[in-house]
Amino acid sequence: MAVPAKALLASGPASTKRTASSAKKWKPYAFHLVIGLLALVMIYPILWMISSSLKPNGEIFSQAYNLIPSRLAWENYRSGWAGFAGNTFTTFFKNSLIIVVISTIGAVASSAVVAYGFARIPFAGKGFWFGCMMMTMMLPHDVTMIPQYVMFSKIGWLSSFKPIIVPQFFAIPFFVFLIMQFIRTIPHDLDEAAKMDGCSKYGIFFRIVLPLIVPSLVTAAIFSFYWRWDDFINPLLYLNNPKLYPVSLALKLFLDGDSINNWGGMFAMATLSLVPIFAIFFIFQRYIVEGISTSGLK
Amino acid sequence: MTKFRENNHLVGYLFTAPFIIGFLIFTMFPMLASLYYSFTDYNLFEAPNWVGFDNYKTMFSGDDQYWKSVRVTFTYVLASVPLRLAFALAVAMLLNKAIGGIGLYRSAYYLPSLIGGSVAVSIMWTQVFGDKGLLNSFLGLLGIHTTTSWIGSPGTAIWTLIALSVWQFGSSMLIFLAGLKSIPASLHEAANVDGAGAGRRFFKITLPMLSPIILFNLIMQTISAFMTFTPAYVISRGEGGPLDSTLLYSLYLYKRAFQFTQMGYASAMAWVMLLTVGVIALILFQTSKYWVHYESKGES
Amino acid sequence: MKKITTTLVAASLMIGLAACGSGNNGGNASNAAASGSAGSTGSAGSSASATAKTDDKPVTVRVAWWGGQSRHDYTLKVIDMYEKLHPNVTIEPEYAAFDDYWKKLAPQAAANQLPDVIQMDISYLNQYAGRNQLADLTPYTESGKLDVSSVAEPTLAGGKIDGKLYAMNAGSNALTMMVDPAMLKSLGIEEPAADKGWTWDEFAALGDKAKAEGKLLFSDLRHDVFFPFYLRGQGQLMYAADGTKLGYDDDKFFIDYYTKYREWYNKGYTMSLDKLSQSKGTPEEDLVALGTALSSNQWSNQFIGISTAAKRELDLLPVPGWDSNKALFLKPSMYFTVANSSKVKDAAIDFINYFINDVEANKVILGERGVPVSSKVQEAIRPNLTPEQTKVFDYVAWAEKNSSEMNPPNPVGAVEVDALLKAEVEKILYKQVTVEKGAAEFREKANAILAKNK
Repeated sequence: MAVPAKALLASGPASTKRTASSAKKWKPYAFHLVIGLLALVMIYPILWMISSSLKPNGEIFSQAYNLIPSRLAWENYRSGWAGFAGNTFTTFFKNSLIIVVISTIGAVASSAVVAYGFARIPFAGKGFWFGCMMMTMMLPHDVTMIPQYVMFSKIGWLSSFKPIIVPQFFAIPFFVFLIMQFIRTIPHDLDEAAKMDGCSKYGIFFRIVLPLIVPSLVTAAIFSFYWRWDDFINPLLYLNNPKLYPVSLALKLFLDGDSINNWGGMFAMATLSLVPIFAIFFIFQRYIVEGISTSGLK
Repeated sequence: MTKFRENNHLVGYLFTAPFIIGFLIFTMFPMLASLYYSFTDYNLFEAPNWVGFDNYKTMFSGDDQYWKSVRVTFTYVLASVPLRLAFALAVAMLLNKAIGGIGLYRSAYYLPSLIGGSVAVSIMWTQVFGDKGLLNSFLGLLGIHTTTSWIGSPGTAIWTLIALSVWQFGSSMLIFLAGLKSIPASLHEAANVDGAGAGRRFFKITLPMLSPIILFNLIMQTISAFMTFTPAYVISRGEGGPLDSTLLYSLYLYKRAFQFTQMGYASAMAWVMLLTVGVIALILFQTSKYWVHYESKGES
Repeated sequence: MKKITTTLVAASLMIGLAACGSGNNGGNASNAAASGSAGSTGSAGSSASATAKTDDKPVTVRVAWWGGQSRHDYTLKVIDMYEKLHPNVTIEPEYAAFDDYWKKLAPQAAANQLPDVIQMDISYLNQYAGRNQLADLTPYTESGKLDVSSVAEPTLAGGKIDGKLYAMNAGSNALTMMVDPAMLKSLGIEEPAADKGWTWDEFAALGDKAKAEGKLLFSDLRHDVFFPFYLRGQGQLMYAADGTKLGYDDDKFFIDYYTKYREWYNKGYTMSLDKLSQSKGTPEEDLVALGTALSSNQWSNQFIGISTAAKRELDLLPVPGWDSNKALFLKPSMYFTVANSSKVKDAAIDFINYFINDVEANKVILGERGVPVSSKVQEAIRPNLTPEQTKVFDYVAWAEKNSSEMNPPNPVGAVEVDALLKAEVEKILYKQVTVEKGAAEFREKANAILAKNK
């Protein structure tokens, strides 16, 4: 099972190990050309957003199709960061980070444990609870929102991060199912072998399964980070005090149909708000694909 | 060893406890409450009155818009899920390589999924599919001159939403990538030694080994496609127009719940959704026996 | 084997701890909330318990509104000014964008947690007031705590339901036609007198001329605003007084109005529906601001945004049809209301009073929420206005003299009727139904929705 990363690299079709025919020679260039062009199409909108964040306010609509601003309006970043009467984006970014980091740790850790239970341990009522879990994903949130709000209001959690963070520690169905599916791709012989060595279910989970499912845990962490970062509906409902607002909610305070809007500031902050989630993705995607899993088991 | 077997129930409950406790505390009550509301005329402000199956009857027999939203939603699901998955898998396979700059490519393909359903998306989608949008400029180059707005025409509006969903395929791609990396490379090497071609390797090794992940993506994407709300909301300004052509189920439900404050009716809609999606998911699970390959058959 | 046992113990401990941890989390958290620590600075609960009628005891008032960045900024400034004058009062602001605002209020109403002062929109007023969520302000106007001595009676009437004042007008609006004088001149069109405006027929006659220059007459006329306005001009009402049906029985009015509307649409005088649905409805996209239409027919408070976006001098004309049957009316651009569940009603009223009547505060507000309803404030802040703001104040002052009292606020279900009207008109303009059929369909469905109010 312990396959060194090099073997993984060599197994790809782009491998140049074998003697290269002339077709093989231009193949990498063709690859870059196609993939690169497609990538441009994919990120055009982001380029557009970044360029809009640097356009003087009037140009965003009048020069909408022009990617290059007439001049770089860095003041958008200043006016956007200033936020709303004293609550700057320093506050909003700080709030987002608190919510997102704690939530993500809770969500991934609890989901991994639950996933192992569902994937590998037969117990009475498993099907029932699994069904319950799937059901929670199929009922639109709009109709459970009100009773949930009333509930959190009764236990006095309103206007704090608790209703947003605490439920994350009780396993997120999407991640549970995701990690389950990864656990199920692990050959069962491994468990058996470990069992022969006297490993308990706990031992198997921590020492054998956990290292092998790191790609799925990282995937879950990337998703969780992004979803929590992007989530504005829970903060909207549960946080009354603007000092507690995260970035996602603050971004929505810029625009209003009645008044003249600070579009530049909005786009500037929207661009900045992409930075953390993009960084997280860029840093962690390596762990998904570099096969960390192989190093866990020696 | 036999002792472990006997204690499996306890161990199983210990591992799944976080979910079960959370479900009982945070989720079960609101779900049951919404089920109860679906049999009432709850309007958010006054105590609900029991109305029996009235909401369900109205939905099925007296509400044209409801059926319109069902049709729109099915079109959306049937078109966007397969396209998105196929695209995600294809790109994941392409990017599952170790060559210079591949991380940047991966990030570029994932980026669209990061901007979600913000105002930026809706404005930008107008840039592409609007009357003076990129698509029309491109068609103009091909000699087809048109000034219709793809977003604003009843016949094409839903397709711009489908395009948006396919464009944001990054999350499925990421999961496929993680799945591809979980396939032991030794299998591919063995096949290489056997002289299997790329196509054969794909069908004999990659697809079967990836099938649990495909099942996951298929089920989750289907569920989330049925629940899609944000793109329709930001693109049609929350109205589902033109001519209700982008009135996705969730959007209509939201309108009923919060614009018209008919929470009872919205709850009934939600439970019909749950049943429908539940049945579809169950069917997918059942068929998975025939095409999903698990390494661990024993205890699942 | 020993090693494995320790692993097992450690692992089970971890699981056990995790379970304990999560269990305790819940307990601790609620304790913390009860003792008022852990970041929840003055939560709703504690503010309620800290209620006191005397002036110097600390009071916390939650004030909620919707808007954009500029409104948030100046409102918070006004709150600061108020807190300086009343050191015992702490105001907790809660603000959001329009759509989000209502999504936030709904669960708050369900959980009996509404803010003390609630900015209110006319289309939601009846939903909240009619369902006992809002306090009757009449006792406060009688006692003078809410000073309405310099507010004209018709201006107040817009917040009354069944004779009770549930909502305080926060600023007045009137329908207007915004035009770009330079553009009219360049097209060789003579701008009509500022106290007359065009009639719809005179204006529509300019359609071909405008079209030849690539201009539209206007983008569209909002159906939920202009159809009821037309009905007023015909001596009809959109909604019956008791709110259980439409105010008109004869489809003729619908047919007349929308036959004309469809004609303009078909001739290409207005924006086609597919392009209209691309617009986000912000001032920056307004067609007069962009210079592609002759007029923009809006509420007068939109003028500031649109003329700022246009960066040219624009004019306000009376909206066509204003003089038919004195159809023109002043409408509250928005209201301030007090939650029925509020424990600090006196303090809430005092804040509203400050917002409405204080001159210094209004020098900051500068009519952004509509022209101030107090005539004293109006006069006092005039020197501080920009030329654009002065135009709005002048127009609304003119409108006040040339209008009649507005219709009562829309009944419960009107939001659904508005949506229905828009959908039905779309069907007509897309030629899916005839005007006659659309008129009948609309009347029947709308009456069915309103019949629920019986």
